[in-house]
Amino acid sequence: MADAFFAGIDIGSTMTKVVITNGDSLTSIIGPTGAEHRRMASKVMQEALDKAGIPFSGLAYVVATGYGRINVPFADKQITEISCHARGVSSLIPETRTIIDIGGQDSKAMRVEQGKVIDFVMNDKCAAGTGRFLEVIAETLGIKLEDMGKISLKAKEKVAISSICTIFAEQEVISSLAGGVPLENIIAGLHESIANRIGSMTERVKPKPAVVVTGGGAKNIGLVKALEERLGFPLLTPPEPLITGALGAAMLGREAVLKARKEGKPLVRKETKLEVVSFHS
Amino acid sequence: MSINVAGPASKKIIDLYEHRTARARELHSRGRKVIGYLCCYVPLELFTAAGVVPYRIMGSLDQTISEADSYLETIVCPFIRSCFDIALKGEYDFLDGIVMPHSCDTVQRIYDIWKYHKQPAFSHFLNLPHMEDESSKRFYLKELERLKKALEDFTGHPISEADLKSAVSLHNENRALLRELYSLRRAEPALISGTDVTRLLVVGNTLPVVEYTELIRELIQELRNSGHQTRTGTRLLVYGSEIDDIALIKLIEDCGAQVVMDDMCTGTRVFWNDVVPKDGLLESLVDRYLCDIVCPRTYRRRTGSREEDLDRRFGYLKSFIEEFNVKGVILYIIRFCDTHEFDAPDVMDYLKKLGIPFLHIEDDYSVTTIGQLKTRVQAFLEVIKD
Repeated sequence: MADAFFAGIDIGSTMTKVVITNGDSLTSIIGPTGAEHRRMASKVMQEALDKAGIPFSGLAYVVATGYGRINVPFADKQITEISCHARGVSSLIPETRTIIDIGGQDSKAMRVEQGKVIDFVMNDKCAAGTGRFLEVIAETLGIKLEDMGKISLKAKEKVAISSICTIFAEQEVISSLAGGVPLENIIAGLHESIANRIGSMTERVKPKPAVVVTGGGAKNIGLVKALEERLGFPLLTPPEPLITGALGAAMLGREAVLKARKEGKPLVRKETKLEVVSFHS
Repeated sequence: MSINVAGPASKKIIDLYEHRTARARELHSRGRKVIGYLCCYVPLELFTAAGVVPYRIMGSLDQTISEADSYLETIVCPFIRSCFDIALKGEYDFLDGIVMPHSCDTVQRIYDIWKYHKQPAFSHFLNLPHMEDESSKRFYLKELERLKKALEDFTGHPISEADLKSAVSLHNENRALLRELYSLRRAEPALISGTDVTRLLVVGNTLPVVEYTELIRELIQELRNSGHQTRTGTRLLVYGSEIDDIALIKLIEDCGAQVVMDDMCTGTRVFWNDVVPKDGLLESLVDRYLCDIVCPRTYRRRTGSREEDLDRRFGYLKSFIEEFNVKGVILYIIRFCDTHEFDAPDVMDYLKKLGIPFLHIEDDYSVTTIGQLKTRVQAFLEVIKD
């Protein structure tokens, strides 16, 4: 089985991630998610296959996850990102007991024991507390999303952002700017506001160390720092925090195939072609 | 299609579900008095004894709230906002009156607002105590006498002891049949899906008791005759307040589960306990409606250790879980329902103690927000299966 390849595809609201693994080697590709999930999904998958140097027919099993998981015609199985993150993160950092995933349109906290989820909470109703919030504010401030973390570290003090709503927080930011507050203080205040929100959500699952942060939010050093202060735990970040869901999906696929084989009921792949399917048929 | 048997009873239920107000409108147009009520704490026996048709007011998950927002804050329970919204749109104009109990503060307030805007021919506020002590029971007895008198004045006919006695037995018969139907859910797989049960419960809210009873009887017969099995899946219990649409239960079952039991004010709280007739029939209604229904709207004195207290307050859930072989519980709380939100931590502590997995969801009461719950439900099922 060591030479069989398994793929996991995680379609998030902004990014599509693919991981291909045979248990030893690991190939990953991150691409944007378009309005047409399925078209983009096959494109990112093809790139990953090219990088791994195998044809689509060389995959033993494909698992889709993320909020676009239903729209993947070439996947054999769908598993929620909750289970996939738990599996993926635990394989990279075995001592993981809590995972905080800060995605583009939702955020979630999971309590994990030995790679398995025992409790989780999710915010998918409100942009505040997600990457979307920072995207909106970055645009308002005219800076790049990826620069926000570094800029905020220069803050001498933090502006208190009282609003928990993205739209109203944006207004507060504009009025702080007009009042001459330094940019870094505003951004540090924003990070604190999101950290408070994510922190309260995380406390609902009674976090235990090691706590790992994943998703786009994990790439923001200022946000991670603010969250560390809020929770009182040091936070770990995987080398590539975007791919843990896809990695977990590939691993869960591999485990499903191995288990089925052991039980004498081997799983058969559903699709043999990497089809491009239009979202609007 | 979740109804596996396309027998006449099932077809009738689907039809009545799609046209919820149809039967009550028909009765109203023939001169019967139809009275709308909220909550499971209103003793329907008094309506039946008075010859009045009870109609449980429900909201509409499909309709966007467009009218009610002019009168109610958006931080008000979205279920009540929806009920009032469709009333403002004229959907409940067939109601000859309303009876609303002080089940929670939102229901208390909507009573006045409804009365002011809709001006029903009959309206009555039932002052329902929030505790079950002796003094509360005496108080509630007086309140039921007041409700009885109000109904008599409205219809012009006195309610005799015999009327009340017959109403009690009609409603007990109805409850017994619902429990019989529920016993078919104990099988693995359950003989009827949670979606189909929910559809029946919604329909039952809209019918006179005799017609409802007949419908349940036909359905049970149909299920027994066909001996069909619904699909298998993780066996769940749903806990919460109002469910007046199949959307949520269908979503849960479409994720690969079967809802086999509930603790809802539109489910078991309506029929799990009978009225046990005693000399004063109104007193037996007090026992049934004030003390036997377990809903967080009634405060139960905390006694003993925390553990003993939880056992006393939620022990019935343990029986439900064991008898129906439940593998997980979903707490479905409608946003801004303080009543249920404040009790939820205790319910969850109790479930934790039992070692049964649970998922707490808070929802805005609309079809689209229910759709968003899919990932949570699927992840929960993955956690249980793991």
